[in-house]
Formats: sequence, structure tokens, C-alpha cells
Amino acid sequence: MYGGLVWSLARRMLRNSDEAEDAVQEIFVEIWRNADRFDETKASETTFIAMLTRRRLIDRIRFSQRRLSPDSLDDVLLEPFTRTDKSMETCVEAEEAAEAMRNLRPEQQQVLRLSIVEGMSHKEIAEATGMPLGTVKTHARRGLLQVRELMGLNTNLQEAKA
Amino acid sequence: MTDAQKELLYDLLAKQVTEGLTADERKQLDTYDPAIVKAELRALETTAAAIGMASVEIEPMPDHLFSRIAAAAPAVLKEKETAFDGGAPIPSMSRIITADEVFKRKPRTFVFGLLGWVVTAVLLVVLGIQFYATRVSKQPEKAVVALPSPSAPLSATDQRDELLRSAPDLITATWAPGNMKDLQVSGDVVWSDAKQEGFVRLRGLPPNDPATTSYQLWIFDRSQDPETPIDGGVFDVNSNGEVIMPIHASLRTLKPQMFAITLEKAGGVMRSKREKITALAKVETQKS
Repeated sequence: MYGGLVWSLARRMLRNSDEAEDAVQEIFVEIWRNADRFDETKASETTFIAMLTRRRLIDRIRFSQRRLSPDSLDDVLLEPFTRTDKSMETCVEAEEAAEAMRNLRPEQQQVLRLSIVEGMSHKEIAEATGMPLGTVKTHARRGLLQVRELMGLNTNLQEAKA
Repeated sequence: MTDAQKELLYDLLAKQVTEGLTADERKQLDTYDPAIVKAELRALETTAAAIGMASVEIEPMPDHLFSRIAAAAPAVLKEKETAFDGGAPIPSMSRIITADEVFKRKPRTFVFGLLGWVVTAVLLVVLGIQFYATRVSKQPEKAVVALPSPSAPLSATDQRDELLRSAPDLITATWAPGNMKDLQVSGDVVWSDAKQEGFVRLRGLPPNDPATTSYQLWIFDRSQDPETPIDGGVFDVNSNGEVIMPIHASLRTLKPQMFAITLEKAGGVMRSKREKITALAKVETQKS
């Protein structure tokens, strides 16, 4: 049911099928072990699984110190942002996020896509795009907060800040 | 909280949900109110997960990967069923959760949606086993180590020697007594992540009665919670002497940190109470 989602996220972030296979197996074990932590009032099952998947993938990238090659970087920068409407039907949060992303400035969209979807570090994004590192960090922070706000996921602290 | 503090907090949280934090950054985050951090982190993780889902074309999982996961599922699901039988921690593994800690945990709240999810997982396993019966690895059968019988140990010795010669990433660890201090165990364990193959060589383990007890090997690797080490297989010892046996890891094992052998009821257990730890081996070296 969620195999395709976990596999696709892993393939995209790790960019290596062998490593993605190992990661997916680890992730499913973790999903089974953490099933009791799922809280349907916080997010959908699909989003919960995507969250666990991303946590493990981030750990794996940090552990392996994976770096993109110049060739694969060109591919990354040219890839489109949104997936097809058909595959988005499975999760309301994904639809809301896609809609929210369209409201961001293009450079914010680019930073979030490279960071969240492609698994690139802020430093890698700065090197790839020519943006100063501080600017990348600012786009990541503001972009995430803006998408969160548009998705209606604000907390008390964020509302106080606004 | 000042605006500058809030900005730093969100910088740290944004980094955590996109690429993870360094140790120093983690310390900075720890200076904030944990309740605020938890709530903010959850919201931003949800946001990042939704962006991730919105941005990938979903591809089906490859069949061979499906079969690998299906083969691993029964052990994990059974482990969850028996996950609350507690037990004392293995010495010197600080992250192992003790029985008290286990019992202090919140009771599980299985919502209907989650129940359906688990049922789906079970069905996946059953279907996976049916469809891939010829391809999934069989559960390792109990190994009977019968020294000084000449054939089986020699075969294991040869296999071990071959692994020592060919593995590019061999790790080794030396056996020492566990919590049964009167046992004078010695020997070593070797393991290769690349080959997913390893061997236990052990002396001083007393013969067990196969009708009532089994020895069981456990592997603590970097990917597993120390509370739930990987089952490395069960075996009997029916003669004093040197035991050499292959490791039958039930899950893919990466960078083991420690191995343990416990004495359990016949056939082994899904989760050890760790009452009788006959031997421990901490990883010392890795061949580069």
C-alpha cells in the first residue's frame, strides 16, 4: 500500500537504487515498530509514513555523507517540481502542499525542492545555484513556514510570531 | 522569547527537517523549551513530508525488494506482539531499555485506521510468502554443533577461512563472559556487511539440553534499536570444545557494534529477557 511511496521518496533522495533498497527495508521495519505512535489527529497515515521515511533518509544521507556528482546535479536542477495530479489524489496534505508551493517565490520553491525532495544540504544548494549560504537558509526557513501557514499547520508560537 | 531567539529556533528546525543537525546545533536546540520544540518540529516535519509527497512520481516497489521486506515482516510483527515481556538490560549497553522503562510506556492506542494498516501489512506478508515462497530465504534451522564430529565443523571452518580471505570489510570481536560470570568463554566473531555473512567461534560454552534450552545469538547493529537486536540464529552445543557456526541474521545487518549469546527456551525466543547472557563480544576492528 505504501511501498511505492517509500520507495519513490528513497530513490529520489538517495539517487542510488542499491542504497534505496537497503533504506526502504530499514524504513518498513521502523514503520512497523512505530505504528503505535501514529496519531490520526496530527496527520494522515500517508503523511506519518512519509515523515518516518524522511527522518530515516536524512539520517542515512548524513551518515553516508552522500554528495551529488556534477552530472546528477544538472539533472536535479532541471527536474520539474510537481508530480501528476493523478498520483496526488492519494493524500490531501500533498495537494495542499503543492498548492501552497505555487504561492512561494521561485527561488524559495527551488530551495525547498532541492532540499526536501532531492535531499541536498543547504551548502550543496548554495554551491549548485550560486546563492549565498545565508540566503539558502533564509529561503528554506521562510518557505517552510509559509507553506506550513498556508496548509493551516500553525502552532501557537508561530501565530504569536506572525 | 525574543524575535532573534525565534528566528534561530526556526533556522534550527528548518535545518533539522531538511538535512539534520550537527551535534552543536542539537545542543543549541536543546536550550529551548522541549514542548515548544516538539510541537514546532512536528508541524514542520508534516509540512516537509507533504512537500516531499507532492513532488515525487510514485513508482511501484521492485518485486525483489517486496519479497525481501515480506520475508522480514513476520519476525518484526511477532516481535511487536511480544514486545512487552521486559527483561534486564545487557551490561554496558546504555541505550538498552530496561523492563521498568518498558512498562512505564504509554499503552498503545490502536485506532481503526491503524488496525487496517497493520492488517494490510499482515496480508502483504501472507501474500508475499505465498507468491515468493520459492524466492524468500527460509528461517534458519537450529544448528547442532557436535564437536569433535569431523565434517560439519570443518566445513564451517573452511567457510570462515574463505570469508577471512575475501571479505573487504571484515569486522571482528572477541567473546567475553556475559552475566554468567562463572563461564570461561573465549573466541571471536567475524562479520562482513558486504557479504552479509559471519561466523561465531567459541570455546567454553557448556552443552545444553536441546529438549529444554537453546543458545541464541543476537546482533546489535547501528540500524537497530538496542532494545530489539537482530536475531542471529539458535544453536545447541552437545560437546565441549570449539564451536564454529555461521551466523543466520534474520534482517540485513549493517555495522554491528556488539554480539551477544543468551540461553533461552528450546527453539529460541523472539525477544530475550536477557536473564542468562552467556557471552558478549564488542566490535573492535574493521578491515579497511
